[in-house]
Amino acid sequence: MIENFHEIMALWDKHLLTMRTIEHLEMFSIALTISVIIGVSVGVIIYIRPGIASPVLNFLNILETIPDLALLVILLPLLRLGTGPTIAASVIYSILPIARNTYTGLKGVDSKYIYVAEAIGLSPRDILLKVRIPMSLPLIAGGIRIALVFTMGVVTLGGLVAAGGLGTVLQNGIQLYEKDAILLAGLWTGILAVILDLGAGRIEKKLYKRYGTWQPQK
Amino acid sequence: MPTQRLFERIDSIELQQVSKKYGSRYAVESLDLTIEGGELLILIGPSGSGKTTTLRMINRMIGPDTGSIRINGQDVMQLDPVRLRRNMGYVIQNIGLFPHMTIGENVGLVPKLEGWDEKRTNARVRHLLDFVSLPPERFIKRYPRQLSGGQQQRVGLARALVMDPPLLLMDEPFGALDPILRTQLQEEFLEIKKEIGRTIVFITHDIEEAFRLGDRIAIMDNARLVQVGAPEDLIFDPVNELVADIVDTKRKFKHMDTLNVKDLMTPLDAKYILNGGVDACDAVEIMKDREIEIGIVFEKGMLAGKVEMVNLLKCEDDRPFLRDIAKPMKVFALRDSVATALSEMKRSGEYVAMVMDGDTVGGMLVSDEVLLKLI
Amino acid sequence: MAATEMILNATWEHIVLVYTTLLASILVAVPLAFASLYSQRLASVVMSFANLVQAVPSFAVIAIVVPFLGIGFVPALIAIMLRALLPIIRNTYIGLTNVDPAQIDYANGIGLSEWQIQRYIRFPNAYPAMFAGIKFSAILANSIAVLTAFIGSGGLGEIIFQGLIGYNTEKLLLGAIPAIVLALLIDLSFTLLEKKLTPGYIKQ
Ligand SMILES: Nc1ncnc2c1ncn2[C@@H]1O[C@H](COP(=O)(O)OP(=O)(O)OP(=O)(O)O)[C@@H](O)[C@H]1O
Ligand SMILES: [Mg+2]
Repeated sequence: MIENFHEIMALWDKHLLTMRTIEHLEMFSIALTISVIIGVSVGVIIYIRPGIASPVLNFLNILETIPDLALLVILLPLLRLGTGPTIAASVIYSILPIARNTYTGLKGVDSKYIYVAEAIGLSPRDILLKVRIPMSLPLIAGGIRIALVFTMGVVTLGGLVAAGGLGTVLQNGIQLYEKDAILLAGLWTGILAVILDLGAGRIEKKLYKRYGTWQPQK
Repeated sequence: MPTQRLFERIDSIELQQVSKKYGSRYAVESLDLTIEGGELLILIGPSGSGKTTTLRMINRMIGPDTGSIRINGQDVMQLDPVRLRRNMGYVIQNIGLFPHMTIGENVGLVPKLEGWDEKRTNARVRHLLDFVSLPPERFIKRYPRQLSGGQQQRVGLARALVMDPPLLLMDEPFGALDPILRTQLQEEFLEIKKEIGRTIVFITHDIEEAFRLGDRIAIMDNARLVQVGAPEDLIFDPVNELVADIVDTKRKFKHMDTLNVKDLMTPLDAKYILNGGVDACDAVEIMKDREIEIGIVFEKGMLAGKVEMVNLLKCEDDRPFLRDIAKPMKVFALRDSVATALSEMKRSGEYVAMVMDGDTVGGMLVSDEVLLKLI
Repeated sequence: MAATEMILNATWEHIVLVYTTLLASILVAVPLAFASLYSQRLASVVMSFANLVQAVPSFAVIAIVVPFLGIGFVPALIAIMLRALLPIIRNTYIGLTNVDPAQIDYANGIGLSEWQIQRYIRFPNAYPAMFAGIKFSAILANSIAVLTAFIGSGGLGEIIFQGLIGYNTEKLLLGAIPAIVLALLIDLSFTLLEKKLTPGYIKQ
């Protein structure tokens, strides 16, 4: 298989891995940004309207069981081939963990902080924005970290529906049975995912240190 | 596969020069202690003094670094730990009932592992639940978390008794209960203790509990055994400040000098009175009927002395009359000081004495009862 | 009808692949979790590996398997297992270690052997978490099994890939919809099973 650094670099260039990585991260960033915006909003909405929390979360849970490739494929007739369905599918998977963690976090803030906030005269809106949300940040970050992993997974599948990214290299490699290319691209994709996950883990830990008063409530 | 019985009864448990170190600190140091078959020995002492460690070395949950522990002469380190533990009952604070098993399953677990059939296990479990005052119909199917603390503690006891072990190890079994419940369970336990008549090693932090339940009390401090003896030994002869502190000699007995025999005697129950003209063999029958171990013999209205059941059993040879074999006993007057009376009794090794009011009987002085009244 | 037959065949292949993988994963994961109880090193290796691989995209896992094992049913099975093992190991291990140590100590005290402690104390305590892990893995396996059609495992994914080649919408849906239905059925059946198997002490 791969023997030395120069061969690796040659292979890297041949398969345009720099470009593919940029494409990959581009899709990933767009998808994750949208997911965070929608996910946190859904979390806040079901916190404000607790009546709909359980049906919404149940519905999102069902979406989660759908095989990712199948979800991607049934979006094709609507969104055509390319980055559109890839990003949409990523977002659909990622809403649940973010929304769920946001909701749990907002609900779980220790009531003594709320009493204090009320006592110093904060409005309910201020309490949400200045107390509940900041104190839920570690948990929200945990949800985003799970979404990050989901998003990486789906974006990699994008290669199969002509969305570009690292999945394209994997797809070509497997179809042409080029073992070296498969191994290089596979490992690189894996390493990239692990690095991003570890980075997110550090941020999560920092937030816990900063806002670590949140206690899981059973 | 049923575990073979290691011992039907306990003759003695001998701990010789037993030490256990954690790091450089002794948890138990050079402990010498003999537990006699059939007694309830209390282990008491400050937190961290090594009580639990001592108890757990008896069932090999902890191996001693040096020294030996022999049950009926057999070194426990030579025995298979699982088998050894199956031959003992073990009760701990906070019970340790398994939350995922019903009460019936909890009590019946070891019989099941011992290969008992379901019918026998079930019968045994029901019997024991009855024994600890938990109607089996109501409790057998419940889960531990559906029981109150006191009820759980009872289940813990039933579970320890299930294999009818000759030895019970109890580590603060009533420690987590509130005082009222605790007293109630102690009362019940005293009844049970009479019935089961087995050897029990019992850890407590509560000296009242120790006095109420213990035949002998061993006081531990700082990994060492400080003193062991009957309650009155500890009260009257504490070897050091700590023991005096634990048994609280000062507080309890500061009035001793001012108390008279009259204040602490018990009325003479008619059942103890035997006639001097009865022969020894008949006396044995009478005493069995009346469930007494000791009798006070009167001859023509006059105190002749006392007889003890154990001494009468060999009556067949000559069937002596009680008046001829009654042993003299100490007699005190109503106004005698209790302190003097007790120390005289202790010196001659007697535990009952008569109290006379001139020529008529005033009552009995029973050393154990005096202590219980004082504490 | 040829289409119906094709779907039924593919569904059957799919089910076989999913459940074979699931069974193999349980057989590997559960003993590994038990073994991890006895070796702190094994436990930390297994758990950190589990956490790392969790982050790697399924497609990348499948790709990495190919250079070593080629394509076909077995490489697909291995690829799925690499992902499906982890939730089971992790949940089982957490369940096993979450038992109150006082209970284990007490079990020792009444003379339970090591094996009996596993059987009567640890396992029943770990079981609900373990089951949740298996359910999660079943759904994961079903999802990845669609993808492994790309390396020749057969199953419903194969219809999808045929559809992708010529961009045949009908074929895409004929593959995707049964795969989704299957996912929902797996989820439902495990939920029902879970309810049925919930031990009494949790129900009451
Ligand atoms: N596993 C262990 N590792 C280290 N030290 C221990 C261990 N077990 C007990 N010790 C120490 O040994 C000493 C005796 O402990 P032990 O549990 O026998 O005390 P105890 O008399 O039962 O106390 P308590 O009344 O609080 O239950 C204590 O200082 C304790 O900290
Ligand atoms: Mg202790």
